[in-house]
Amino acid sequence: MIVSEQLVSNLFYGALLGSVYGVATMGLSLIFGVLRIVNVGHGAFIMLGAFTAFWMFTLYSVIPILSIPIALIFGLALGFIIFFSTIKRLIDAPELSTLLATFAIGIFIEEVAKFVWGSDYVGFSWDIGTLYLGPVTVPYTKLLAFLCSAIIAGLLYVWFTKTKLGTAIRAVVEDREGAMVCGINVGRIYSVSFAIGIGLTVLSGVLVTLFVPVGINVYMGPDYTLKAFVIAVLGGLGSPWGAFIAGFLFGLFENGSYTLLGLIPGVEPFALTRFVAFVFLLIILLIKPTGLLGGE
Amino acid sequence: MNIRAYKPLIPMIAVYGVLITIALTVDGMWQPVAYFMFYIALGQAFNIFLGLTGYVDFGYVAFMGLGAYGMGLAIKNFGHLGLIALPIGIFLAVIMSMLLSLAVGAVALRLRGAYFAIATIGVNEGFRYLVEGVRLWGGTEGMILSGFMRKTYGREMTNFFSTFLSDVLVILIAFSAAVVTIAILNKKMGYALLALREDEDAAKVMGINVTKYKIMAFITSAGFAGLIGATAWTLKLTYIFPEDVFNISYTVEAIVIVMLGGAGTLLGPMFGGLIYGIMKYYLSVIFPGIQLLILAPILIAIVVVFPEGLIGYIRKKARDTRLSEYLR
Repeated sequence: MIVSEQLVSNLFYGALLGSVYGVATMGLSLIFGVLRIVNVGHGAFIMLGAFTAFWMFTLYSVIPILSIPIALIFGLALGFIIFFSTIKRLIDAPELSTLLATFAIGIFIEEVAKFVWGSDYVGFSWDIGTLYLGPVTVPYTKLLAFLCSAIIAGLLYVWFTKTKLGTAIRAVVEDREGAMVCGINVGRIYSVSFAIGIGLTVLSGVLVTLFVPVGINVYMGPDYTLKAFVIAVLGGLGSPWGAFIAGFLFGLFENGSYTLLGLIPGVEPFALTRFVAFVFLLIILLIKPTGLLGGE
Repeated sequence: MNIRAYKPLIPMIAVYGVLITIALTVDGMWQPVAYFMFYIALGQAFNIFLGLTGYVDFGYVAFMGLGAYGMGLAIKNFGHLGLIALPIGIFLAVIMSMLLSLAVGAVALRLRGAYFAIATIGVNEGFRYLVEGVRLWGGTEGMILSGFMRKTYGREMTNFFSTFLSDVLVILIAFSAAVVTIAILNKKMGYALLALREDEDAAKVMGINVTKYKIMAFITSAGFAGLIGATAWTLKLTYIFPEDVFNISYTVEAIVIVMLGGAGTLLGPMFGGLIYGIMKYYLSVIFPGIQLLILAPILIAIVVVFPEGLIGYIRKKARDTRLSEYLR
């Protein structure tokens, strides 16, 4: 009885966290879809968002929800700077170059951050009460994070389907040459998509802090990069919508399997959950590289 | 056998000679040179796959990790037989890493580009979490062999292993990897891989069995990685921790070295490893703590302005001169 209650509670928590994972992966998928570049330094941008939330809260007592637009603008600016300084020259380069360049960018950001903020773990607590719902107890901040994730994903969906620029981006994902023939300025789409991708990722870092308020560290990124890879593949690389839904599923899976694997004696449920996740990743890549939710 | 085709080994032997002479004659230089040699060996081994095929294996370090465990298991289980445990360890390291590479290669090499890179990250991380999750080979606590080795082989012998024998073995591994590289380059396999790297579909249409050559390069490269793990890690450091031996940063260092020197060349990994090793060593001495801060922009600059690497660049400049016979 206890186990099933724990499972329900963990699954609920997983669903909330999963929505944040979804937003945290959309940027990766968008950049891959448009530019065909895997951003190996993805997690470093999440870290920047987390620090944005931390500093805004501790220095100016700005609540994390209000830090979201600040992080977005910061990320957009950073995205444009990185695009025009490096990525622009690497668009048609072999994978080797782009993987290495994005990795180096990630390291550079981490090291600058370490130089500025030091390598200690920091955190803050923002308490606005807790919701009690049967076996489930959940702080309102986490519910708020879920709500924000859903709104952001929804806004993005509307933007992609209803606006001209959004439609143009989808056209480039579909067929680069075809879009060019139709008179779309592909170069501009590249820069805008990269900036939005980075902006979304930095923004997601703010939401992440609502789940790990004390786990903010300059080296927190790689962990999220790996998770984002699994989620992106699950949702079909290059599809931001797939990524959002896959993030949601991943949150459920992560928390559910953690609870169930914890029942097996003599194993580390945390590590084994990761193991199962990576096995899934391989299976999906092999049998359906377009992702579980991808078309074709 | 065409002796002339092996001319590029001459500059390599010269560089090795200089390095070994410095290590043996200058006081306190043995360990730094051994440090550089580790990176040269790493680059040389990874180049056989990454450089020759153009596929990016982000999980390369898994083979090194498995090699490290192979040697650790041999010392732990066969240590009582005396020194015979070392050759057993080397054998185990090669077999284990080659078996994993065969399994990974058979499935993951069907994927290309970014999909292959992500799949190999998955293999590496998955393997690490399996070791930690089911507490295989000591799980998170790893294997600590120093006490055991001292008891079995004596303090002096253990020191000899970790400060001399392991370094000599790494030098030998680096050189053998180079010899294997040039042998491949001069054979049909080298031309097949060149065609595959330029355009895989075209190579396939021309009747080249691309899968066979890809897997051959992958397994060879993985075997050398296992050897490096067994010698440069287990034998030298006398401990194995899963988060160290499956650390993705070694893969990235290997990629950096190969790119710095020139992917697919023979001499590239040697110069790449040497430059990278020297930079990393002296930057951490002069600017402790911020060496990565300096290294990262250099890396970005190399990728953007210098994508063919040092040897690739020199070869382009030296085309049709006598020098080009010695560069490969």
